[in-house]
Amino acid sequence: MTNYILKRLGQGLLTVFLTVSTVFILIRMAPGDPAVSYAGPLATSDQLAAVREQFGLDKPLLEQYWIFIQQLITGNLGQSYSFQAPAMQVVFERMPYTLTLATSAILLTAVVAIPLGVWMSRRPDTGREFGVNVLTIAGQSMPDFWTGIMLLTGFAVLVPIFPASGFATWGGLVLPTVTIAILQIALISRMVRREMTANFAAPYLTVARSRGVRSSLLTWRYAMGNSAIPVFTALGTRFAAMLNGVVVVEVVFAWPGVGSLIVRALETRDYPLIQATVLITALLAVGVQLLIDLAYPLLDPRVRLGKAATA
Amino acid sequence: MSIDTATPSAGNSGAASPQAKQPSPSAVTKEDIAKAGATRRRKSAQWKLVVGTICTLLVIIPIILANVLPLPDANFQDLAARRLPPLTDGHLFGTDQLGRDLLSRVLHGGQVSLTIGVLAVLVSGAIGVILGSAAGYFGGWVDTIISRILEAQMSLPLLMMLLLVVALFGPSIPVITFVIAIAQWPEVARLTRSMVLVEREKPYVSAARILGLHRLQILIQHIIPNVIKQATLVVLLLLAQAVLLESALSFLGAGPQRPFATWGRIISDGQDYITTSWWMVTLPGLVIVLMVVGVNLLGDGLRDRPRRKKKGA
Repeated sequence: MTNYILKRLGQGLLTVFLTVSTVFILIRMAPGDPAVSYAGPLATSDQLAAVREQFGLDKPLLEQYWIFIQQLITGNLGQSYSFQAPAMQVVFERMPYTLTLATSAILLTAVVAIPLGVWMSRRPDTGREFGVNVLTIAGQSMPDFWTGIMLLTGFAVLVPIFPASGFATWGGLVLPTVTIAILQIALISRMVRREMTANFAAPYLTVARSRGVRSSLLTWRYAMGNSAIPVFTALGTRFAAMLNGVVVVEVVFAWPGVGSLIVRALETRDYPLIQATVLITALLAVGVQLLIDLAYPLLDPRVRLGKAATA
Repeated sequence: MSIDTATPSAGNSGAASPQAKQPSPSAVTKEDIAKAGATRRRKSAQWKLVVGTICTLLVIIPIILANVLPLPDANFQDLAARRLPPLTDGHLFGTDQLGRDLLSRVLHGGQVSLTIGVLAVLVSGAIGVILGSAAGYFGGWVDTIISRILEAQMSLPLLMMLLLVVALFGPSIPVITFVIAIAQWPEVARLTRSMVLVEREKPYVSAARILGLHRLQILIQHIIPNVIKQATLVVLLLLAQAVLLESALSFLGAGPQRPFATWGRIISDGQDYITTSWWMVTLPGLVIVLMVVGVNLLGDGLRDRPRRKKKGA
């Protein structure tokens, strides 16, 4: 068990390291000069050179990379060019907002999508199921930025129930959450339906039914028990993906999270800020993935960590 | 009881063919057959196919014909005719804040979006099938490496990475196509890998091996043809995703600008005028939804469609 965790931690850290290294190389390969966007278009070449020296961008690439690795180890990725503050600190200040949004969105998704999927799987090939099925197809076909603008116009401008942007009150959480959840509910409920339908068709369920097990028990204990792992994995993976910043939705609703931060960092070529964002989000994503895997034995006693990690 | 008729819709079992055809005359009436789950399933699959085709064609045909149709130039600005509502002065979708014809912009932008989508799906499909089948068939270290890359990519911030690459290398059509293809290949690869894993244990593979065929030849000539059909179904669904992904990138300002702005960009342009000119956001969005719903319905319908060939054969 301990060995397994250590091994997974090692793999995770390796993934993170490779990711940030890739990003380090990518941003330096790309055209565009952060000194220009920092010093402004009117800066003289002397001023530009001074800025480059200040940020250490005049050093050879390998030396920059060596400095970067040292910074990684100490956990200090340097000053953000545009915020004039430690880059890690800037990201950490934004993280709670993204965390709040992601948590509320995943909760709403789970609360709606699981019962909905079960409902669909229990009455296959009926008119109502077909209607909901088509609705979920529509749900996964709407671009989230468009849904966001539509909701914004409807419920913040025309009928001003909720604030239009930012996170001043808890009401501001509603529209972004719903926007994210529409897509996620569509995806997850379809997946729940698929898993449950497969389990309903399995022989063990027929046997249980012939023994006279109650229908609700069949659904929630038997079929759901066996669908729990894939559903839980999907929810966890989606949550991890949201932690990386629900970029589009954050931009639409001017949400002060990590997603809108990265857009700004990219526009200004703020190297330390880009690297800090990627580092923290990759760490979080890998961490959540590890937690999901560690939770498997709780959901399914057959799973023994380290042996059947692919269950 | 409705539960009994359930069959896995994941498409991995080939036993979903309906048995509604030869009823015993005494017990089952025609109404019973019409109400039976299998009949409904076939009907709903047909409905999805028909409606999906209609929705898709409704968007794709005008896009293909955009250069032939009598439309104003998509980039022609007429400041005297700014923000005209739909159906005025021959502007079916109205005009935008610079007096450009919105329908023309949507159709020409759609050409770019669709080209990117189709190319990206072809590239990701090819990469996915090749790597996935290699991983499934050869196993060992090939599988280990490919599966690790798959896992690593699944756990990475996807849209952020795409945005990064596009922001850094410029929003040209090849870059965006490549980026979307890279984002999508894991799905194809995982599916192909799992199907090849099943397929390679079948007797015909051993037979081919005994006949002395080269391993690569077995894979290319015998195994891939058997899995490619299901893989192409996924590719259709990926096209829908690719269009959405492209529009999201373009909404964030990381979409192609030349020769025409694509859908996401048109919507983000119109965002500032949403209270006064609803059509500038609503209509392009509806076009995206119509098209993506169409493609998704098609993919769904094709998957649910009972396979009739088995009976005829």
